[in-house]
Amino acid sequence: MSHERKSITAATDGETCVLSRRALLLAGATGGALAAASPARGAAATIAASPERAPSPGRAVRDYLPVTVPNGAKLPWKLVGGVKVFHLVAGEVDHEMAPGLKALCWGYNGRVHGPLIEAVEGDRVRIYVTNRLPAATTVHWHAILTPNGMDGVGGLTQKAIQPGETFKYEFTLRQWGTAMYHSHHDEMTQIGLGMTGLFVIHPRRPQRPVDRDFAIMLHEWRIDPGARRPNPNEMVEFNVLTMNARAFPGTAPLVVRTGQRVRVRIGNLSPMDHHPIHLHGHQFRVTETDGGPVAESAQWPETTVLVPTGSTRTIEFVAHEPGDWAMHCHMTHHVMNQMGHGTPNLIGVQPGNLDQQMEAVVPGYMTMGQTGMADMADMGMAVPANSIPMLGGKGKHDVITMGGMFTVLKVRDGIRGYGDPGWYDGPAGDTARAAVADDLRRDGIDAERPAPVEDQSPTG
Amino acid sequence: MNHPSGVPSLRRRGGVAVPWLALAATAIGCASVSPERGHDQVAALVAQRTGHKTRWEKGPPDAEAIARWVRMLTAAGLTGDRVVEIALVNNPDLQSVYEELGVSQADMVQAGLLRNPSFGADLGFRVRSGENSELRLSLVQDFLDLFVLPQRKQIAQQQFEADTLRVADRALETATEAEKDFLAAQAAVELVAFRRTVVAASEGAFALAQRQFDAGNISELERATQQPTHEQAALDLARDEMSLLEARERINRRLGLWGETTSWAFADTLPPLPAVDPAVDQLEMFALQRRLDVAVARRQAALLAKAVELARSTRLLGRLEVGVDAHQDPNGPRVIGPNLVIELPLFDQRQAVIARLEAQKRQQERHLLAVSIDARSEVRVASARVRVSRQAVLRYRDGLLPLRQTVLQQTLLQYNGMLAGLYQLLAAKQGEADARRGYLESLRDYWSARADLARAVGGSLPEGGHHHEP
Ligand SMILES: [Cu+2]
Repeated sequence: MSHERKSITAATDGETCVLSRRALLLAGATGGALAAASPARGAAATIAASPERAPSPGRAVRDYLPVTVPNGAKLPWKLVGGVKVFHLVAGEVDHEMAPGLKALCWGYNGRVHGPLIEAVEGDRVRIYVTNRLPAATTVHWHAILTPNGMDGVGGLTQKAIQPGETFKYEFTLRQWGTAMYHSHHDEMTQIGLGMTGLFVIHPRRPQRPVDRDFAIMLHEWRIDPGARRPNPNEMVEFNVLTMNARAFPGTAPLVVRTGQRVRVRIGNLSPMDHHPIHLHGHQFRVTETDGGPVAESAQWPETTVLVPTGSTRTIEFVAHEPGDWAMHCHMTHHVMNQMGHGTPNLIGVQPGNLDQQMEAVVPGYMTMGQTGMADMADMGMAVPANSIPMLGGKGKHDVITMGGMFTVLKVRDGIRGYGDPGWYDGPAGDTARAAVADDLRRDGIDAERPAPVEDQSPTG
Repeated sequence: MNHPSGVPSLRRRGGVAVPWLALAATAIGCASVSPERGHDQVAALVAQRTGHKTRWEKGPPDAEAIARWVRMLTAAGLTGDRVVEIALVNNPDLQSVYEELGVSQADMVQAGLLRNPSFGADLGFRVRSGENSELRLSLVQDFLDLFVLPQRKQIAQQQFEADTLRVADRALETATEAEKDFLAAQAAVELVAFRRTVVAASEGAFALAQRQFDAGNISELERATQQPTHEQAALDLARDEMSLLEARERINRRLGLWGETTSWAFADTLPPLPAVDPAVDQLEMFALQRRLDVAVARRQAALLAKAVELARSTRLLGRLEVGVDAHQDPNGPRVIGPNLVIELPLFDQRQAVIARLEAQKRQQERHLLAVSIDARSEVRVASARVRVSRQAVLRYRDGLLPLRQTVLQQTLLQYNGMLAGLYQLLAAKQGEADARRGYLESLRDYWSARADLARAVGGSLPEGGHHHEP
């Protein structure tokens, strides 16, 4: 981690602020609450030494670099008597998973997943929960240390919140890290329908400052093509896999400037699956789990982090290499959108005159899938209403034959804002292309000859 | 002397017999058989009830003309109307029934004829010489005949009319059967077409399974599991094709077709469901008024009542014979004189005949009752079948078939997105074809029920029942 960096640029909604190194150092040195003064004035921090005296509520920019939630939202708050007051409203949400696929989900404040709650270690939070669902619900503050009665487990620690009721949760945040919240009442139904959200608690003293701080919630759904409601009863065959409730090509890219230090917080409240999230072009370290920071000595370099369901993993890396870098779950069926898992295996099948034979039965019939699914990205054929192709999004060079839990880390030199910078235009010499005859000749490559191989099997 | 003159003398004195014959002739009216008699009435009854001609209005038509006409109609392709027209003129059974009218008419004419006078001759041979032999001639007519002739004629007339009605009824029945045969055949054609679609679909599945197997994508077990469907479909098609052939042959028999006229084509398809069913109010009464079998039974009952009456009124009349005798006395001149024989009804007062006729009359009244009850019941059953089969058609047309079509369309969309495979698509196609078959069968049943209802009410349905949906 670079504490020697001169400045950290934080951005949220295009607004750019600069946290001075001095302020950070001050915060780091005092290890308590910061005074309610703007960082620009470089005000000194006041320490809340005794437990009776609560630290003042944390402020964005002054106290932390706000998290960016691609495709997502954040929950606003107001300060009432030194307490951060939030209001979650549980209800049905007509949500777009990707262009062409909408689903009637259950979420909070009109969003799926619920807006990210962002606070600071030591903050006192009071969270009202209004239930506008047709069913009772509760909210559990997943991985947050609360008094038992605030844990939100329906029946165990509280009465369920009936439709129309508003409950109040209140507790002090005694930790920092990436936590989550979700319904803890009829979880299978309510989590299955999307009632989850991220809860980021920044440390009172910035621990490992970064330039870009992203948060992504993973989820999986069963939405039959042509249907509009996820089926929460599904146990195995999920067909829509999402990052922040969006499936590729509906996912927004993660945009960073070359050389920036990047944090990605990944939470997983999928009903049934863990997701190995793989990042191209970089090595990262897992710096936190939902249980807290990972000791630096215990972090090892990785390119894929398994995020078990019910967990969060925070990875950090320096975006040293400009380009468009894929970031995705490495389970191949998790980078597919709605598809039929029960369709016949047609790989290598010779259709022969089958198409003509079928013409009388199904006019316009065409055999598909003999070479795989890649063609499915853009068949131009009519498909069921409210469904998306099993894969495919536009790319610079061709169709990107991916779907589901797939997004792109866009690293660019010298960009000002963090809007989508478009496709990476790399140096021609560093882009794979069809080999030309001169190359082949020079290197003695004959595409017609038997493929070379060194057989390793024992030979008498 | 052989006295052959006796006969000539009678002939000469024929003047005596002439008035009797004249009287008899007046009593019986037209005593000749005419070819068109009865047929014109049958034709009128049939035309009134079906709108079609029997072409027997003037008696047996010219066979060659009929054959030409049948060839022309069959060559143009068959429609429901043409089938009825051909059946009415060319159905072999019906043709023989038409001929019954000739028989019946002959009986009627026979009944109007006086019994022929009897002529007698006695010859006495001499036993001893010197005596003359004797010839006695007589001409006797049963005069009771003359008294009962008008009534007998009336009965015979009624019998003939009843026969006419019966023949017309058979013609109507033939028309209905022909109509239903044609509906069944029309349906059979389309059923075969749908079955061919199913076979084509199963061929597709068969071929795909084979190709998948060849590519190494499925096991022998899967291939063998997938392919029998095709064999079954082919067997079903063969059965349906046989049914179609049988349906065509039923029409050939019904229309009296053979040789090249059997290669007729269908000139129209099963009509769609009409907007309305026939009005069913008062249909039972309507049927009793119009049904020819009821009319026949009613007439037979009346006829037997008349016969009983006739028998009763003549029970004390024995045989009354009046005649002339002419003979030559052996020793005297020729004499001629009247001769009277009166039967004395001492023992046989026709009790047995009357009892028999009365029993027959009661029998016929029971029969009329039975026919009427059957007719009413047939009307109720047929109109219920019309109603129920309409519901079935509507369920297929507006319910099952559109649903199956939606399944097919949506499966096709899913196929396009590779969400469903070919097997699923073909299963959807088969489901749709099955629904079409069901729809067609129910439509055939509907029209068949209407034909039965028309038949049950005596030929055609009351007004208001025949306009079709656009
Ligand atoms: Cu995954």
